[in-house]
Amino acid sequence: MADPVSTMPLRVPVARPWRMPLVVGVAALAVLAVGSVILPTFLVNNLIRSFLYAALALTVDLLWGYTGILTFGQSAFFGIGAYAAGLVFVHAGYSPLLAAGALAAGLAAAWLVSRAIGWLAFYHGASPLYASVVTLVLPIVLVQAIYSGGEFTGSSSGLSGFDSIDLPLEAWFFIAGAFLTVLAVIAWLFVRSDAGRLLVAIRENESRCEYLGIDVSRYKARLMDTCALVAAFAGFLFACVQMVVAPEYAGFVFGTELVIWVALGGRGSLLGPIVGALLIDTGSAYLSGDLPYIWTLLIGIAFVVVIVAMPRGLAPLVADGVRGMLPRRKGPAPVAVTFVAAPARERDDATGGTARPALSLRGIHKHFGSLKVLDGISFDAHAGELLSLIGPNGAGKSTLMRCIADGAQRSGGTVEIGGAEIRRLAPYDCVALGVGRKFQTATVFDSLSVAEALRIARYRVARPSRWQRSTTLELPQPALDVLRLTGLDRIPEQQCRYLSHGQKQALELAMVLALEPRTVLLDEPTAGLTKQERTQIGSIFVSLATRYRMCLLLVEHDLDFVRQISSRIVVLHQGRIVMDGGVDEVVNSDLVRAVYAGESHTGTAGTEGGA
Amino acid sequence: MLNLGLDIVTTAAILFIVSTGLLLVFGVMKIINFSHGAFLTTGGYASVIVAQAGLGWWWSIPCSLAIGFVLGMAVERFIVRPLYARPLDAILATWGLGIIVGQLITLAFGRGVQMVASPLSGAVHWLGAQYSAYRLVLVGVALIIALALGWLLNGTRLGLQTRAVIMNEALARGLGISSARVRFITFCTGAALASLAGCLITPLASVDPNMGVAWVVGAFMLVLVAGASLVNLAVASTVLGGAQVLVSTFVNPVLGGLTIAVLAALLLRIRPEGFARG
Amino acid sequence: MKRLSYAATATALLMTLHTAFAADPIRIGVPVGLSGANSVVAPSVVQSAQLAVDEINAKGGILGRQVSLEVADDGSGAAGAQKAFDSLIFDKKVNALISMETSAARNAGLPIVSRGKVPFIYTSFYEGRSCNRYMYVDAWVPDQQVAPIVDYFMKQQHAKTFFLIGSDYAFGRGMLDFTKSYIEKQGGKVVGNEYLPMDGSDWTSIISKLQAAKPDAIITSTAGGAPNVTLTKQLRAAGIKLPYGNLAVDEGTAKSMGADAQGIYISGSYVTNIDTPANHQFLAAMQKRFGADLKTPNDLSVPEYEAIYLYKAAVEKAGTVDTAKVIPALAQVSFDGPRGKIQMDKQRHTPLTMYLGQVQADGSVKVIESFKNVDPGAQCPALK
Repeated sequence: MADPVSTMPLRVPVARPWRMPLVVGVAALAVLAVGSVILPTFLVNNLIRSFLYAALALTVDLLWGYTGILTFGQSAFFGIGAYAAGLVFVHAGYSPLLAAGALAAGLAAAWLVSRAIGWLAFYHGASPLYASVVTLVLPIVLVQAIYSGGEFTGSSSGLSGFDSIDLPLEAWFFIAGAFLTVLAVIAWLFVRSDAGRLLVAIRENESRCEYLGIDVSRYKARLMDTCALVAAFAGFLFACVQMVVAPEYAGFVFGTELVIWVALGGRGSLLGPIVGALLIDTGSAYLSGDLPYIWTLLIGIAFVVVIVAMPRGLAPLVADGVRGMLPRRKGPAPVAVTFVAAPARERDDATGGTARPALSLRGIHKHFGSLKVLDGISFDAHAGELLSLIGPNGAGKSTLMRCIADGAQRSGGTVEIGGAEIRRLAPYDCVALGVGRKFQTATVFDSLSVAEALRIARYRVARPSRWQRSTTLELPQPALDVLRLTGLDRIPEQQCRYLSHGQKQALELAMVLALEPRTVLLDEPTAGLTKQERTQIGSIFVSLATRYRMCLLLVEHDLDFVRQISSRIVVLHQGRIVMDGGVDEVVNSDLVRAVYAGESHTGTAGTEGGA
Repeated sequence: MLNLGLDIVTTAAILFIVSTGLLLVFGVMKIINFSHGAFLTTGGYASVIVAQAGLGWWWSIPCSLAIGFVLGMAVERFIVRPLYARPLDAILATWGLGIIVGQLITLAFGRGVQMVASPLSGAVHWLGAQYSAYRLVLVGVALIIALALGWLLNGTRLGLQTRAVIMNEALARGLGISSARVRFITFCTGAALASLAGCLITPLASVDPNMGVAWVVGAFMLVLVAGASLVNLAVASTVLGGAQVLVSTFVNPVLGGLTIAVLAALLLRIRPEGFARG
Repeated sequence: MKRLSYAATATALLMTLHTAFAADPIRIGVPVGLSGANSVVAPSVVQSAQLAVDEINAKGGILGRQVSLEVADDGSGAAGAQKAFDSLIFDKKVNALISMETSAARNAGLPIVSRGKVPFIYTSFYEGRSCNRYMYVDAWVPDQQVAPIVDYFMKQQHAKTFFLIGSDYAFGRGMLDFTKSYIEKQGGKVVGNEYLPMDGSDWTSIISKLQAAKPDAIITSTAGGAPNVTLTKQLRAAGIKLPYGNLAVDEGTAKSMGADAQGIYISGSYVTNIDTPANHQFLAAMQKRFGADLKTPNDLSVPEYEAIYLYKAAVEKAGTVDTAKVIPALAQVSFDGPRGKIQMDKQRHTPLTMYLGQVQADGSVKVIESFKNVDPGAQCPALK
């Protein structure tokens, strides 16, 4: 699901990240105040509209450019806000109280619709294509609903001729511009903050986020709710200033125009979409009259070219150009993030205490159609154990790992983590029970730095600030050990995409450990590592089990590695446990040798041990 | 009553004709070709060209197929191929293409709405009801298209290769099938079918540079629900098309227009594989 | 160097003076549906406007100033109209707007007209009762148009039940609401009343309902060009041969529909067969000006021609293009055009001679009856 388009890399964190946005915001307000008076009327008219559209484009950028949710539906929320105003003013007349009521109604309606869309589109396992489809269907449904409203909603005609807030055009110019400015500043602060990095993390690797305990679907739905409210507000303002509402403003053609502006301006850059929206919308007012067909044709061509060849849009190109032209300045020294030890957390059955197994499986089975992959897997694993799961390819090892960390995967049986059944819980809820899973291929967040990735991993334990960037990051000792041992603690600002394979593996392990799990699932952790890295990581695993009393469940092919570090080995063959015992016992058994050599095909002679 | 039944069957046939091209492309390439609407429009304008040239309407059929196929070749090569790994971007790029084609058509033919005379006017009297002859003919056309495509997919080697690519592209390539060639031919065929559909629907309505847009979303929802199977598409067209007709007739024609989209979205939420066997 | 810069400054000054003193043309804005539902009739409207402007300029213009035309596309809808009106009033700075549009576009443009304080002569027939300080209407309203068709159907065709079909917007609903109440007042019954959105083109379910309801006659009121054509096509394809009155089709569109249009009854204030010297002169001039490109003048385009002349008369009477003076003048002037004497003095609307006609096989309209001087009724009682 990785998206090759990356966000513009964040500059190294500055001590006070809110200063720049606020300064720019205030300057913009000043420019608006002056501009409202000196600019010609036609331009003012157009800019009012363009400012509101740019605010919409901003929401699309947050949803799509940053979080990867391709949405065509922001126009629908805009339309809801606009029609709320239109309907109230036409049928009930105008008064300040009614206006406030209309605004409240519009916001409430937008919020409700957004919740419905969230339910439809964002759930564990939803495909991004389906989510986009839902956002496409929304404006279509809304427009048809408007059409079916006959005289009440004005149908194809729209509603017009109503009174609204009586303000001069200059005042509206300032209001619309201020709306955009405030929104842009808030978005800027959010995106630069620690919490804002989560958007990028979701876009780059949603699955990893879920396994870090983050309820991605809920997050996306909340984000969409917020953007829906903003869009509805913009629509309300639009209806008040234009005094006309029409179905076109809620339709999907407008929704796709917004996406076009964001794509051309530069997705994931905030400023790009704003500039794109302003230039194209106001530009078209001037140019499309004179060169009607050509203008739209040019936009269409530019759009296709940008998507195919320059997916990041035009903003990064312009920004690079500008930066190249400006004289190099020595800015304030950047402050790197430092890692500190987190205070030890209250644990109910902290050390020792084998009263309750860390992991307990009973009768797990999984089938795909008529193919049975796991059949009756049962065993317990305790704190302090380093349990290796071995078996030939196709034995079902990775499938078993998935069934432990994700409640929806198995077809039957029970899984208990720390005594609590996982039932059908999604990965992020399983993480809450104390299990962490490290994937087979090192999945980190390419666009984020080491420190940012680790902070995302700490999301459940320590919510990152929504407007600040913290210069320290608390990590539990095991994670710190991993970082120190592999040298990652010295390069906290390095972007993950530039790490070596071994470093990525280590980082992912540190991220999983940052969750403070009691049970760690490791899926082929030595794949692709050098001998030295393998020894290093082996010693880490042993210390996790012995020093920190975690329960480690390892899937491995490297029998030497397994023999060196494990305290117990479980052998899987064709979906069943054929052996479960101590290292020597298993390694020296004939059965295991036969299984690996492929001689026995059914669990026949000599099934020893096992639960 | 009979009228209602005929409405349902003919509507299903029309939806089927319009959606087959999209189904083919989605099944093989796993991307949604949003320029499908533009190809529909080119088919419509093919009829206009044929009418302006003074030829009989039936010439529009080969004309639209040819135009669609040629255009499809260029689109696959320059727009779809680079975006194979980015399906969401492919939707956007093909939508952008649709805009471009719409504007080019406007430049060539003007913004206005054009009319094409129907090749088969009047109604057929059957079992006490009067029904549009042309709509009934379209049912036959849908069957012919289904059978032809079915034969292509099941009876030819290219068809076999295509089905292999649909099921598991990596494996197919590993077996020596040139998936690039299969994708190329599939896209061109899909485009040609879209163009044909466009020319077939012109006698029922009017031709204007944006005529295809209205059909894209409905076709696309049907394809999502149908997965990669022609039979499923026929089922989906009948069920969802029937629902559309029923809502249009008994509730409100306006709400009928959105029945397909809403039902399909709900269906996919409950059962993401749609009508395909799970 | 210095001499060069003096010369440059002098030239620039002269040029600015020249343009300042040269007569500034009077700009007339024409926002019209070049795309969308009205795109079939828009070209004829633009042609009428062009002929009027050419004739006026040939005779010396208005108050010695040439007249120029600014055409903008309003997309036949609200969103496009906002852009078009905005552009014409604030960017091109027109002195007046004279145009035919869909009711959706008109309603969307009116607030902008009020803001821009520009006279607006609306030249399209419409559903009536749209009132604005700056607007005048020189085309018919239902009070003038509906009665001929309904009366004819009820008396001559003995129709008692009617099925009404329209486009779902202000015009479609307004016309059919008026028609329904008129039918019921005359003792008839409306057995069906269905609408499709303006851009809708699939009338299938409505036609099925029609067949189930078995009315004696059909009356339709759809938007401009495309919906008229698609509805008629589909009605004929379904084999429907009932008396069919179309409240919103013009001769040009009827001609383009070919054989499908035969038999349709229309009621309007203009048909090309009107036998008056003014009409013959007008048609000859149009033919001469546009030749093979001529789009049939019709009930939507001829009022445009007359409106431009009315504006000329009003400006000459007021002696200025100043809106405050032109507005009252527009009610006081009259013009003898192809449709007869036009004077917008009945609450911003004008009495008209109405014709009931039937479309023939060759697309022309045969006049069955004519009604002189039909009053528009009380359209804008609040305005004087």
